[in-house]
Amino acid sequence: MILKVFRYDPGSGEQRYDRFPLMHRPGMTVLEALFLVASEQDDSLAFRYSCRGAVCGTCAVLVNHVPRLACRTRLEPLLRGEDLLALAPHPGLELGEAYSPDEEVLVEPLPNMPLIKDLVVDQEGFFSKYRMISPVFRPSGELPGKEQLMYPSAVRELETYTNCILCASCYAACPVNAADDEYIGPAALAKLYRFAIDPREGDHGSRFARADTPHGWWACRFFTNCAKVCPKGVTPNVAIGKARGVLEGRGKDSRDKEHSPATDSHVPRE
Amino acid sequence: MTEFLHRHDVLIIGAGLGGLRACLEVAGKGLDCGVISKVHPLRSHSVAAQGGVNAALGNAPGGENDNWEAHAFDTVKGSDYLCDQDAVEILCRNAPSAVYEMEHFGTVFSRDENGKIAQRPFGGAGFPRTCYAADRTGHNLLHTLYERLQEHEVTFYEEYFVTSLVIGKDRCSGCTALRIMDGTVHGFSSGSTLIATGGFGRIYSRSTNALINTGETEYHAFRAGVALRDMEFVQFHPTSLHGTNILISEAARGEGGYLLNSEGDRFMRAYAPDAMELAPRDVVARAMTREIEDGRGIGDGYLHLDLRHLGKSLIRERLPGIRLICMDFAGIDPVREPVPVQPAQHYSMGGIAVDTRGSTSLPGLYAAGECSCISVHGANRLGGNSLLETLVFGKLVADTIIDDNPGTLPRDDRVVHEAVSREETRMNAILSGDKGEDVHRIQSDLQETMFHHFGIFRNEHSMKQGLELIGILEERFSRASISYRGRIYNQALVRVLELEGMIILARVLAQSALARTESRGSHTRTDHPGRDDRNFLVHSEARMKEGSIEIGYTPVRLTSYPPKERSY
Repeated sequence: MILKVFRYDPGSGEQRYDRFPLMHRPGMTVLEALFLVASEQDDSLAFRYSCRGAVCGTCAVLVNHVPRLACRTRLEPLLRGEDLLALAPHPGLELGEAYSPDEEVLVEPLPNMPLIKDLVVDQEGFFSKYRMISPVFRPSGELPGKEQLMYPSAVRELETYTNCILCASCYAACPVNAADDEYIGPAALAKLYRFAIDPREGDHGSRFARADTPHGWWACRFFTNCAKVCPKGVTPNVAIGKARGVLEGRGKDSRDKEHSPATDSHVPRE
Repeated sequence: MTEFLHRHDVLIIGAGLGGLRACLEVAGKGLDCGVISKVHPLRSHSVAAQGGVNAALGNAPGGENDNWEAHAFDTVKGSDYLCDQDAVEILCRNAPSAVYEMEHFGTVFSRDENGKIAQRPFGGAGFPRTCYAADRTGHNLLHTLYERLQEHEVTFYEEYFVTSLVIGKDRCSGCTALRIMDGTVHGFSSGSTLIATGGFGRIYSRSTNALINTGETEYHAFRAGVALRDMEFVQFHPTSLHGTNILISEAARGEGGYLLNSEGDRFMRAYAPDAMELAPRDVVARAMTREIEDGRGIGDGYLHLDLRHLGKSLIRERLPGIRLICMDFAGIDPVREPVPVQPAQHYSMGGIAVDTRGSTSLPGLYAAGECSCISVHGANRLGGNSLLETLVFGKLVADTIIDDNPGTLPRDDRVVHEAVSREETRMNAILSGDKGEDVHRIQSDLQETMFHHFGIFRNEHSMKQGLELIGILEERFSRASISYRGRIYNQALVRVLELEGMIILARVLAQSALARTESRGSHTRTDHPGRDDRNFLVHSEARMKEGSIEIGYTPVRLTSYPPKERSY
């Protein structure tokens, strides 16, 4: 097979595609293939990595035009034409380089972020939006000397969003993001929603209000690329829809008493 | 003069749980704090911790009588009596407040039906004591700390690779680091420097560790004259996914999973009849290796972790992460099929020698977490105690640093400037060197050497062979070269710098292991099968002396728990 890789030389500004022929082992992932290239063919190839187990969010790249974690994406299903994702048009698709699907796997950097070198992009914009939503937990009232109680049902709902690993796959796949620099984006909005529904927090209104702007909750057009590419099953689109509902007075604010013994009484200090 | 000099009261190297917990404390006191990490903080290996964090909260049914003393006893026994018991008491006494504090900071722990933090059984523990956030506990804790730090004034130096510690007038004055993004060498001048960089598991071929766990800062501390303690004690986790060696949490057994051999037998009954699959990791990893060596392994050498009887809803609720890992990386669903597992390197009990305040022997230098040895894990760590260690000692070392008043400590910018020029010269030499040995090949040979000669079962003959092989690797490394000569995002350069430290750590580990002629915890000598308290109830301490490594010993500190025979 051929690993077709986007190359960017920050010195000269040159952009090109290199084709690296590889003997692939069964089960080999895109990340392993990149390491094989770096160790045997070209040690100048730049790509990020850390856990190699799909939990740290470091290695997201475009694979065959779709944002994916390189460590979790296997070559064989791609070459067999399986493992396809139908996404709404986004920059990764639109500007995408051609490749022959039965012998090539195409690897490119995530779009919507400035290039640094080869597959490495500058994620500062992505994290500046994370900071913009003020992701700091603000419990209501005095902190007791024990845990604030919280029912498993509330945990289940929160986990849908706390599972986000901030890999920026959604940020790269979002067509709104591509068109609107100021859009807070799916990952940061999902994070904001996680705080807005935490039954241990006091001021849910200000959490929802924080993104009650044209570039916040209201910018999403529900293409749902975010949920489709998420490697952890997070659904920013659902969070955004629910947040809009709360702001429009439709939906239930999740600070619902039935979920939250903590809002009524704290466990006394020992 | 150096173009890039950064000055901070406190410098923290490493942005995993230990580093960030310390940072929060230091920044909360208004000290000027800089954090250096070779990756973005959220990519640190702490994020991969799965099963949980131990604290005697007594929340779970059957756990009502749990208390910190019972936690301490289990930890001491689990350590095969090599831990320092005063340090263990600090760890266990502070565990409940450490967990409650993280809950107050926002961590979404799993809950029982009464709304309390849920707790599950873990290996070697007398009570269900492990608090968890499904099987993504590290992820949840790390994100919580990083979130909390967003409201503090902290300077993060992301993707900076530390290349040396700077020593001036008998104290640590900071460090030098390569900014990976553009290849510039930066100097960091500080009053206090904390190392919290995690483990060095990648010196082994089979490891659950992130690829970034290469241990260079431990090597820098060692080079600076600080001792590396108990380096022979390496934990092999019983259940890593066959092939990729990605961690399958102990929580899988805590929730009731079985280990089966090729005959479908729950073989742990022969090794730990009471604790069965929930014996400590050293016991289970040895049993598994024996089963495989005795011909009861499956395929090319693995066993089955069977979760099917737990049912789909429990697996989805409490083990969703490992289910996803099994599906992503082995193409199997543990709801329907047993998981192929094998032991793999997981954790280093040893590390930079520190006292119970987290200080090293070098003034101005501190360490916490896996990279340090304080020693709370002794010869074998219990699952759920490493996240706890990062939280408790991350905070405690920060208190020590604050007490030492780093804002008033002497700075030595001149020596930092000199170090930067020295490192510049070194980088230039690597980037302009002649073509020589391939770095990747040396690294993979090192990893195989460590796995085969310093693995779960060890003996003198094999370890001496291993040491010879390490000598050859050192010699080959002196001729190592890279092809890419550019400065921008030169990961080949980073890998050379990593490998330099990995080889030295391997040698320290090897010599420490060869010198300990007993079996204790994770260190199992087939030629010395018994524990020898008369001669070896001591910590090893390796030091660099005139270019060679010397191994010395210091006594273990006992308080309330006299050494006993260890059975489960």
